[in-house]
This record gives sequence, structure tokens and C-alpha cells, in this order.
Amino acid sequence: MIVSETQRHLKWRAFDPLEHVLMAACGLCLLGFTLSEFADVLARLLHHPLASAQEFSTGFFIWGVFLGGAVAVRRDTNFRIGAISDTWNGLPRLIAELVKRTVMLAVSVVLTVFGYLNFLHGFGSYMTPSETPIAVLYAAIPVSGLLIGLFVIEGLICGLRNGFDTVELNDVERAIAASVAVDQPGA
Amino acid sequence: MTANSGLAILVMAAIAVALGYLGVPVTFALMASVFVVVVLFTHLSLASMVGQLFNGVNTLTLLAVPFFLLVGELMVSANITVRIIAFAQALVGHLRSGLAQVVSVFSLFFAGISGSSTADVVAISTVLMPEMKREGYDPAFTAALIASASTIANMVPPSILAVVYGSVGNVSIAGLFLAGATPGVLVAIGLMVYSYYFGPVGVRKGRATFVDLAGTLKNAALPLLIPFIIVGGILTGQFTPVEAGMVAVIYVLVVLLPLYGRGHFRQLPRSFMHAGALYALPLMAVASASAFGWVLAYLRGPDTVAGWVEHVAGSNGVGIMFLIVAILVIVGDFLEGIPAIIIFMPLILALVKLGHIQPVHMGVVIIVTLAFGNITPPYGLQLLLASALAKVAWSRALVACLPLYLIFFAVIALIIVIPEVTLWLPRWLFPQSLGCFMNAVTHTLVCPPTS
Repeated sequence: MIVSETQRHLKWRAFDPLEHVLMAACGLCLLGFTLSEFADVLARLLHHPLASAQEFSTGFFIWGVFLGGAVAVRRDTNFRIGAISDTWNGLPRLIAELVKRTVMLAVSVVLTVFGYLNFLHGFGSYMTPSETPIAVLYAAIPVSGLLIGLFVIEGLICGLRNGFDTVELNDVERAIAASVAVDQPGA
Repeated sequence: MTANSGLAILVMAAIAVALGYLGVPVTFALMASVFVVVVLFTHLSLASMVGQLFNGVNTLTLLAVPFFLLVGELMVSANITVRIIAFAQALVGHLRSGLAQVVSVFSLFFAGISGSSTADVVAISTVLMPEMKREGYDPAFTAALIASASTIANMVPPSILAVVYGSVGNVSIAGLFLAGATPGVLVAIGLMVYSYYFGPVGVRKGRATFVDLAGTLKNAALPLLIPFIIVGGILTGQFTPVEAGMVAVIYVLVVLLPLYGRGHFRQLPRSFMHAGALYALPLMAVASASAFGWVLAYLRGPDTVAGWVEHVAGSNGVGIMFLIVAILVIVGDFLEGIPAIIIFMPLILALVKLGHIQPVHMGVVIIVTLAFGNITPPYGLQLLLASALAKVAWSRALVACLPLYLIFFAVIALIIVIPEVTLWLPRWLFPQSLGCFMNAVTHTLVCPPTS
């Protein structure tokens, strides 16, 4: 199962296909820059260097980072300092969760709005040697911001309906979930 | 620095820490603190800060990070690590506290393959923890030892911390790789000595015969070639660190998996998907930390701290390094290694200049210190992970870990006081990484003086 089952009560099933698609995109980005780096080295060894290989690598890499950052919000696998609010219950927990998710939502709005402005400016700068506008790379940030916002709103609405303080992963469980997901793909 | 910028730095740090402890992911806590301070205290635009997030990860050398993570994950998920464990068992399993010795030796070997200490903890816990339990090892000791040994992955090449430090600080990654090897070996030896004298006796086993040893070495030889491919490729100038990581991935896919994990091929798309999502985590932290570090530098924070350090330690390189270690031990308790490096890089660069410290030497001291942060409370992720896998209370694992801290303190002190402990290997194999050059007239190597 690709879609993470952790914190199921904070997710809509309707968004599961989106998480699946994003996970597939992350895998493709990783595969993409592995292959473009491979092609770059191979071509160089054959004395026919590929001028644009680095651009492809960078493109896959940047998109992979920002899409992965967005999907980590839904899978709740981001790095955290031990959250004191995880041990709270009732109203204090509700307030802490609301503050937490509001902060994340605000950050996602900044990423979307100002990332979009940068994207527009990006049509004035070009990558060499292909002369592709750098906006192609800048676009990853507003897209990531939009997805993060979507997943934060999902968690917020589901949390208000179902409660936040049922199951909250701590750092260890998050790390195990992340590792086990790789070790045992069925997990 | 004006009073206003001092206040801005305090507000930025306070927001980041407060949000972090409230449970906001580190990446978002850093971004939020940056955005608030930029709006309230500066004339900078938010668009430029979002651009800084992009610049933070738009660095070619950072491409090595996912490759080294992927190698580790493929090795663990295809169960190839079992071969290395068998070899370590044949090598040191007969010693007193045999399985504990195996943990240390395996971690040293595995560190040379993967840059991920989490992959190390998972690999060793899956295979050795049940056996250690059967032999009567205290689970708290087991967790403490596994967590401590896993930190070697951050020191020995291909260390991800070294890649990030090198790319952000403009320091030779090959130099950091080579210089980090000795501290990694010293920590492993320290853990072995501690286990020998103070660890549980375990079940004493006979020494492996030469045939057994040769057999396990033969089985593990191909996986154990990976560090030589990576470091050898970089040192001979065949590959950059990024390309070396890619070659290691291709080697696992084309050589190791067909030989040792053919069944794993069907799982490859899933492995790529999960590894693809996994590498974004440290790199999103890199993006946000680089914006945080940039604003900190804009507010002249590093100059202030460097001035304070100069006031306390003068311009003595050793004194400066002990002070920065003290600061990073505290910071490392609260912050993951990668963001810590990026946030503190402007300060580190200022101190390197102030104390005339060899940049590779400073880099290794900082990397070992931050690796130590993986087993200190409250954010000692590897200790948390190992104690959860050993099913032992984290507080008990922490108590068992306290004597092991002495090993780290001793290694850090040694590499600070005697720079050659770290620098001899790069000086021998790759002197250019230390800024040395060949004198065209005398044909001798000329190196800058070390601290």
C-alpha cells in the first residue's frame, strides 16, 4: 500500500489518489535524476558530453524536493522536535493543534503567493545551455505550497470533526514508519 | 549590529523554538520565523525569502544526498546487509560481548556504504536485536550501543552531513570524507573497548576458522566494495561526489540486486517512491534553514557571536573550536544536524577566519559533534528509534548511553587538540583538499599552516 495509513482520522479518502500520484512523482523524480546523472557520466566517458544533462538532473531534483515536502505533510513524516503538545488532551490540545496548523497554512499561503510571483519573474531568466526559462524550476514552490495548504486544510477539517488527540505519531513512530515503509513495501 | 537587529534575531530564534516545541515541523517553524522577522524588522520582500528557499536546494552537490540515502535503503530493503553482518560476526563474534562487538564493526562497514544512520539502526535492529535478547543482553544497553554506533554513518564517507557541509561551506567534500574516516574508526574502537570491559559477557563463541572467515568475506565482498568505489572514484578524479553516489546506486541495481536480491526487483518502483519521498525531508530542512541562515547573516548575527567568541577565546583555534563544540552540543540537542550546519555556517566561516583554522578540520569537528547530537536528549533521534525498536523505555536507554558519551567527548577533544588525527589521511591521499599545491620549482607540496 503506497498511501500511508498513519493518522487515518485526519485524512479524506478522496485525497488518497492524490497522495498516490505524488508518491509516484517523487519516485519518478528520483529515477529521473539518477538516469540523467548516469547518462551524463556515460556520455562523458564516450567523449560525447551531454550539455543539458545537468539541467535535467537539477529539474528532477528540485521538483522531487518540493513535491516530497508536500506529500510529507499528508504522511506526517516531517522532522520535528519532540512536541510537548502531543501529550496534551482536550482543549489545550485543540488550541495547540489549531495554532500548529494555522502556522503551516500561513506558510503555505506565502509559498504559493510569493512563489507564484517568483515563477512569473522566472520567465525573464534562462538556464544554460538550453535557454529554458528558470520559471520551470520556480514553479515547484507554488505547486508545493498549494498542495501543502490543501493537506493542512484536510487535516484541520478532519481534526475538528474527529478530534486531534486520538493518535499522534511521535518522532520515533514517524521515523519507524518512514524506515519500515521502505523496508517492507507492504507496510 | 543595531539593537533592532539583536531583537530581530532573538524574536526569530524564539519563534522557531516555540513553534518547534509546539509540534510544528522544523521546516515550517524555521520558515514561519523567517517570514515574521522579514515582515516586522526588515525591508526585504517575502518573494526574495521564497527565492532563498529555492537557492538553498539549487546546489548541484546536494544531489549526492538522495543517492547515498537510496544506496542504504536498497541495501536494507533487499536484505543484502545480512552478508555484512555475517562477516562482522566471523571477524569479532568470538570476543567478549561478541554481539556488541559485531554491532560496532557492522556499523563501521555499513557507514561506508550508506550515509544514513537511520538505515543503520533499522538494519542492525532487525537482524541482531532478537539474537542479543536471546543471549541476555540488557535491552537498554543494546539500544544505547546501536544508537551510538549508528552515528558513525555521519562521520565515515559517504557522510550526508559532509556533503551538506562541503556544499554549503565551499569546503572540499573529498577532504571531509577522508578526514571523517579516522574519528569514525576511533568511535567504533571506543565502543568495542567499552563493550569488552563493561558490556554483558554474552554467549562466548569459538573463533571462526580461516575458511569460515574467508567464506563470509567472499559473500560480503561485493557490497563492501561500495566505499572503495565511492571514495576511489572521487580521489582518482573519475567522479564528483554526486556522480560517485549515482555510480553506487547503479552498482547496487546492476550488480548486487541481480546477484543477491533478485526477488526485490518487483519491489523497486515502491522503493523508489518511498526513497523519493524520504530524501525530500532533509532537503526541505536545507531549504528552510538556508533562508533562516541568510536572514541571520543579514542581521549580522554571526559577527556578533564571533565577536563574543573572540572575547572569550581570543583568536586561539583550539579555544574557538571547544567553544563552537559547546554551542553545537546544546544546539544539536534541539536541532537536526543538517539545518544546524546551514544555520550556523556563516558563524563557522567567521570563526574559521578568526582562528586561522583549517576548514576541513573545523568541518570534521562540527560533523562529529552534530553526529553526537543523534544520541543526546531531547532530539536524539537514533536513541529514540533504537529504544523503540528494542522495546525499552527511552529513559533507561539514555542512562545506558551516558558512559558512551565519554567516548564521543574523548574523540572530539582528541581531534580538536591534535588536528593531524583527522588531517593525516587527506594530506596523504588528497592534499589538494587541504589547500596544498605543488611548488613548480622545488616539486614539493606546499600546504597552508594548520591551527
